[in-house]
Amino acid sequence: MFTIRCPYCGERDQSEFSNGGEAHVARPKDPEQISDREWSEYVFIRANPKGIYYERWVHTHGCKKWFNAVRNTSTDEILKVYKMGETPPPLKEFKNTIKTPSGEPDVGSGNFSVKKP
Amino acid sequence: MTESKIYFKFDGKKYAGNEGDTIAAALLRNNVRLIGRSFKYHRPRGIYTCGIEEPNALVQIINEHNEPNVRATVKKIYEGMIVKSQNRWPSLKTDLGSINNILSPIFSAGFYYKTFMGPKGFWKNVYEPLIRRTAGLGKPPKEFKSKSIHQHHNVEVIIVGGGLSGLLAARKFAGTNYDVLLVEREDALGGVLKNADKIKSINDQPTDEWLEKTERLIRNSNNIKTLKNTLVTTYNFSDHLIALEDKNVGKPQDNEKPELVLHKIRTNHTILANGHIERFITFRNNDLPGVMLAASFEKYLNRYGVVPDESPVVFTNNSSTYSLLKSLTDLGHKPKAYIDIRDQKNIEKETVELLEKFSIPFYPKSEIEGCEGQKEVKKVSIRTKKNQITKIKTSMLCVSGGFNPDIHLFTQSKGLLKWDKDHLTFKPDRIFQKTITLGSVSGNFSYEKLLVEVEKKLSEFEGLNELEVKFELNGPEKFQIKELWETKHEKKSLWSKSFIDLQNDVTTKDLRQAVNEGFNRIEHLKRFTTNSMGTDQGKISSINALGIVSKILKKDISEVGTTTYRPPYSPVNFSAIAGRSTYEFYDPERKTPLHSWHVKQNAVFENVGQWKRPWYFKKSEDETMHQSVQREAEQVRKTAGILDGSTLGKIEIKGKDALTFVNLMYTNSFTKMKPKTGRYALMLGEDGMVKDDGIVCKINDQHFIVTTTTGNAASVLAHMEEYAQTEWPNLNVYMNSITEQFATFNLSGPKSRVIMSRVFNDIDFSNDQFPFMSFDNFKYLDTEIRILRASFTGELGYEIYVPPSHALKLWQKFFIYSRDFDLVPYGTETMHLLRAEKGYIIVGQDTDGTVTPIDLHLNWMIGKKKKDFIGKRSLTRSDIVRENRKQLVGLVPIDKTLGIEEGQHVIEHKDLSLPIKDPVDMLGHVTSSYFSPNLNHSVAMALIRSGKRKIGSRLFVSTENLNTIAVEVVEPNFIDPKNERMML
Ligand SMILES: [Zn+2]
Repeated sequence: MFTIRCPYCGERDQSEFSNGGEAHVARPKDPEQISDREWSEYVFIRANPKGIYYERWVHTHGCKKWFNAVRNTSTDEILKVYKMGETPPPLKEFKNTIKTPSGEPDVGSGNFSVKKP
Repeated sequence: MTESKIYFKFDGKKYAGNEGDTIAAALLRNNVRLIGRSFKYHRPRGIYTCGIEEPNALVQIINEHNEPNVRATVKKIYEGMIVKSQNRWPSLKTDLGSINNILSPIFSAGFYYKTFMGPKGFWKNVYEPLIRRTAGLGKPPKEFKSKSIHQHHNVEVIIVGGGLSGLLAARKFAGTNYDVLLVEREDALGGVLKNADKIKSINDQPTDEWLEKTERLIRNSNNIKTLKNTLVTTYNFSDHLIALEDKNVGKPQDNEKPELVLHKIRTNHTILANGHIERFITFRNNDLPGVMLAASFEKYLNRYGVVPDESPVVFTNNSSTYSLLKSLTDLGHKPKAYIDIRDQKNIEKETVELLEKFSIPFYPKSEIEGCEGQKEVKKVSIRTKKNQITKIKTSMLCVSGGFNPDIHLFTQSKGLLKWDKDHLTFKPDRIFQKTITLGSVSGNFSYEKLLVEVEKKLSEFEGLNELEVKFELNGPEKFQIKELWETKHEKKSLWSKSFIDLQNDVTTKDLRQAVNEGFNRIEHLKRFTTNSMGTDQGKISSINALGIVSKILKKDISEVGTTTYRPPYSPVNFSAIAGRSTYEFYDPERKTPLHSWHVKQNAVFENVGQWKRPWYFKKSEDETMHQSVQREAEQVRKTAGILDGSTLGKIEIKGKDALTFVNLMYTNSFTKMKPKTGRYALMLGEDGMVKDDGIVCKINDQHFIVTTTTGNAASVLAHMEEYAQTEWPNLNVYMNSITEQFATFNLSGPKSRVIMSRVFNDIDFSNDQFPFMSFDNFKYLDTEIRILRASFTGELGYEIYVPPSHALKLWQKFFIYSRDFDLVPYGTETMHLLRAEKGYIIVGQDTDGTVTPIDLHLNWMIGKKKKDFIGKRSLTRSDIVRENRKQLVGLVPIDKTLGIEEGQHVIEHKDLSLPIKDPVDMLGHVTSSYFSPNLNHSVAMALIRSGKRKIGSRLFVSTENLNTIAVEVVEPNFIDPKNERMML
């Protein structure tokens, strides 16, 4: 249960928001001109990284505004929020990209509570 | 001392306890040791501990809640309390389930998993009835209304634990500018100062005095709020903690007040000072009533003034038991024997001196091999340093296997642990959040080091108080321990068992068996054996299990690792989680402006989302639902019927680019549509699947009103907002929900034009003036209404939108002006039936998110010339144009007397082969089915593979009794296929 700083309303409980999946996946300008594969990738395929993720949120139980956020999926830390249409902050702005509790590999579960010897 | 006695009942017998006693303390006061039967083997069990870690002494409280699985070691007694033991049948002393103890080979590790895989029917007929009667914990309450509440806190610092470490931290913060919350799970602050006699004095004062002063200091500082009887159960990400406060400690249930408060705490810093838990040692029959942890025994002496036994045998592997010996001998009692696995030279001199002084039999380098006794301990069997077995008669054995920092909350916060070789336990290592651990939870078991630790770890805070504290100790300062998890047992009989998890009845033999069967990862082993999966989460035993497993696997204990600790720390009542969100407060109820009228007309309501909608209207008390629906549906097509459609979502769309936007949102084209007309429209997802349907009304190119299905009103608006804000922010368009601004009536039936002309006698409803799908606004009394000519049922029909304030009067007016037609009010069930007769789909019933407009033969609704709309590109994907997709068809039974069931499979062959050798090819399923009173037979719709090509053929529909009925596949339009009635 983390908090999110809505760019319009300020910091609120996560339960007021809905997640809208990966950000900056633009709808193809001319869908008729692209192949089935390209279109399917737009409709169905999204990144699911462990670490830094650019994603969309909407303040459902608040101002109802959509905005973008940069979240570290391994810690649920929201590193930045910015309005729709604003230029996304560059990835290099966020250091220490993957910080997992037990220092386990980048891919896999975090279910270790003892530090690896 | 004259204290007022509190009387309570345990298993029907009356006992007296003192105020402040837990159930366990009061029962021990009365020499009651047998408290319950164990989960699987029904072995007799007693009181093992003196707190939240209790695995055995779970009882049921008989009150309004019938609270099950209450820890007798936590719950305080009150006058008239009724307590019952659990897991016994027919009675605690003669429990028939204890036969399981003898049957134990079949109840070994992985029993449940293996049994599930047994011969067919074996589980259902043999094991399940046996297990259901004899296993399981207490009985849940049947029905109960929560009075619990939730409370939110935003603080700078939370201190978890009001023991010595927590109090030192609180003293540092008292009177400063920090906003602090101090949470203590017991009803009094003090922790170890109250539980044991380890500290002689603080600042040359008795510890009680220091405690009192500290409490006063905290109370008088206006920056610290203290919550007692409050257990922190959860430490989430983002410094968010949850704590459960019991408001009814030592009191019966107050029906007017909340019994539990769930505190939701956001903090900047978390100070964990939640102490440690003593662990046990496994030996033969280590579960018998009379075996108790040493520190718990000491807590009964010091906190409750109860002497569980005047001459227990003490068994230890560490230095902590000195204070138990001292407490007992101070009271004039003499332990029967002292057994220590350490070499005499390693045993601290204070202990040895005390043993000599009181000539207590002393067994260094010895261990308990096992216990004897049927319902409680009668004898203990000691393996001496010369490897000989000696037996001593005793009724109680106090055991200390060392201490574990209570790391549960720390690991919930995702902090990392490391193995502490000196104390043989896991302790916090790396923090993951803004966490500070103080005292024994941090692995610091030294009082002298505690002061240094507090000063050092709180140095990051500015402006805190200086601590002026000096301890004088009773007994040894240094904690010493020798590794011991299990002693070797001599006697092998079915009854002899060495337990590693008392609550779940897991033995060390089960652990070995599980490892032998290949479960060598600790998480797998836990699930296979159910070790530490009880309500106590193995608080006194889980580290022991790791110790034993690491020895079997010949691995270092830190390599074996712990299992994941998950919230909550200890079980949380559902009532606390539910809070006030129960019954009528669970979800808002939405009622239409006509609700009171429906109630008077005997409407039976259906929940549609949050809405209460009339399902059907009972004309008389004995009319069945089927009769009501048949009557309503017949009347609509005969004369007219009226439906309360106020719940339909209504969205107003405005803006310079409204037309462009609506064209993008729906499949239809609205460009050439004339103002003041409506159109049945489909909304798709980007995947091409039908998302919603409704009517789009165009007032002009900059102003539209659309309707949505009742259930999708919010999600359709959200969907529109998402595209308007994220994909097409350049479009000038605004949306607003106007669902509740208008009540909506749907008038249907051949007589509806006449009725409309009577109700609104100044409006011309002729085909010329008011053609199909036209609408207009009209003055009505002091307001404005909107009338749309549309058909929901295939009949001539009108939709009237009226402000809620005028709705009831106007609705009644319809009935006054149509007495000669028997205008019938109808509900949602009849609406579905009437729509099914026409083959009109219900989104969400005939579609399920995998159905395209092409599958529904609604190609005519797709604006082919439109360049783009949401989902358009998907409609030409190879998978969508595939001919053998499931498509909507109509079904009519060949034998017209038969009914078709919704949800049944549509198949090609008459015979269902049983038993299943050749799987029957499923073509699809029935989505809607009704008995049509207007056709006098069943009509159904189904989604079946290559449905379009199958029209005209004969297929079969399965039935509940594993039979089939023959059906003819037809176009899904059963009545008035030329659609003439609505154009009347
Ligand atoms: Zn907002």
